[in-house]
Amino acid sequence: MSDVSAVREAGAADIASLLERTQAGDGEAFKTIIRLHQQKVFVLAYSIVRDREDALDVVQETFLRLYQKAGRYRPGHSFQAWLMQMAKNISIDHYRKHLKKRREWETATPLEEIPVPAAPAREGDSASSDLRAAFSRCVETLAERQRMVFVMRHYSELQFHEISETMRISVGTAKSLHFKAVQNLRKRLAPILGVEP
Amino acid sequence: MRDAFEKSSAGQAEAEAVERLLGETEAVRSEIRRAAASVDWETLPSVIADRAMAERGGALARSVTPGLRGWPFVFLMKPALAGLAAGLVVGAVAMYLALRGPAVPQNRDDAYYASGDFLDRAELELARRNTLDYLEKSQYVLLDVFESADRGAIVPAALRSERARDLLQKKKYLNAQLGTVRMAKAKALCDQIEMLFLELAQVDEELPAAELAKLRSYVEERQLLLKINLVRKELESGV
Repeated sequence: MSDVSAVREAGAADIASLLERTQAGDGEAFKTIIRLHQQKVFVLAYSIVRDREDALDVVQETFLRLYQKAGRYRPGHSFQAWLMQMAKNISIDHYRKHLKKRREWETATPLEEIPVPAAPAREGDSASSDLRAAFSRCVETLAERQRMVFVMRHYSELQFHEISETMRISVGTAKSLHFKAVQNLRKRLAPILGVEP
Repeated sequence: MRDAFEKSSAGQAEAEAVERLLGETEAVRSEIRRAAASVDWETLPSVIADRAMAERGGALARSVTPGLRGWPFVFLMKPALAGLAAGLVVGAVAMYLALRGPAVPQNRDDAYYASGDFLDRAELELARRNTLDYLEKSQYVLLDVFESADRGAIVPAALRSERARDLLQKKKYLNAQLGTVRMAKAKALCDQIEMLFLELAQVDEELPAAELAKLRSYVEERQLLLKINLVRKELESGV
């Protein structure tokens, strides 16, 4: 079944009823929920972990957790926000674990065994790729809440009210964290951007 | 007038800088779109649902005998595991008796005689050997999977899945030992291999080509075989 038809099906069916059927062991109901939300969860996970396989692991783990906790959903509350909260928490765990592993490997792997990164897509565009690389590094160094808001807003393209629900903060706090994140990035990248710090 | 002009140019430069900065996020968004386009969204729900059902099935089976729940029951059910555990207990007692040495006077200066350091090293050594054994067997299973795919089924799928299940059991036992800080790298690798065996353990028939390609790409992308070799060498030369 395609995502579009899954969305149509869910348009008719209530998410609470799908969850109830899932809890009763109805695999099709569970698959419908997955079809509806898998891509959104993937995008959020990828935004945080920045690795396709890890993001797929997060998608699987999120829905497995949903399967175990289907009975805890409170009708009337936003299902998507609940699911995205789970996905966000699992992604952060994954990210931290991955970072730890990466650091361990980086310290233990001899130089000749470190995989050589792929060449940049276009040669002669070093300023742009410098900015890109520096930008990625700077996003990684942001304080966690600022980073989360920034990646959700710009990578996952979530609205501020969705971010606030996912992070359980107010919309004002989400906007303020976003502003601080942009300011910090701008400050840290000032030399490359050619502006005053 | 000049001040106002300078302020306005500074503001414009600032706005351009922020715009350029946020423009960089587009590269990441297209990276996400590419990654999302490469996922098989049609089959993923079935894979996840099957796994969820299998895990629920396992949980139900465990809850049937609540009085016998826990690790002693596992040993009752798995003679090999029970044998291994018994061996470990006997070994530990023998080691304790051997290392305890002659009775020492209750003197504070001699209180360190049964050295905790030594016991720690013994525990680490045991973990090292068990991990080496696990990695070696895992490597054989992984090579079997890929070689049987390349040359036709050399190892029957049921046997392969049985081996994967054995290694999953072994991994459960290893988990406690691998928690040791100095074994963190080996633990990370064993965790990745465990994910693969979870998939393999569920397949009793021949793997479809697409599934096999997925597993192969999991192994290749994470350079698991290379990492197994490296960690084995590291463990063989002492942790």
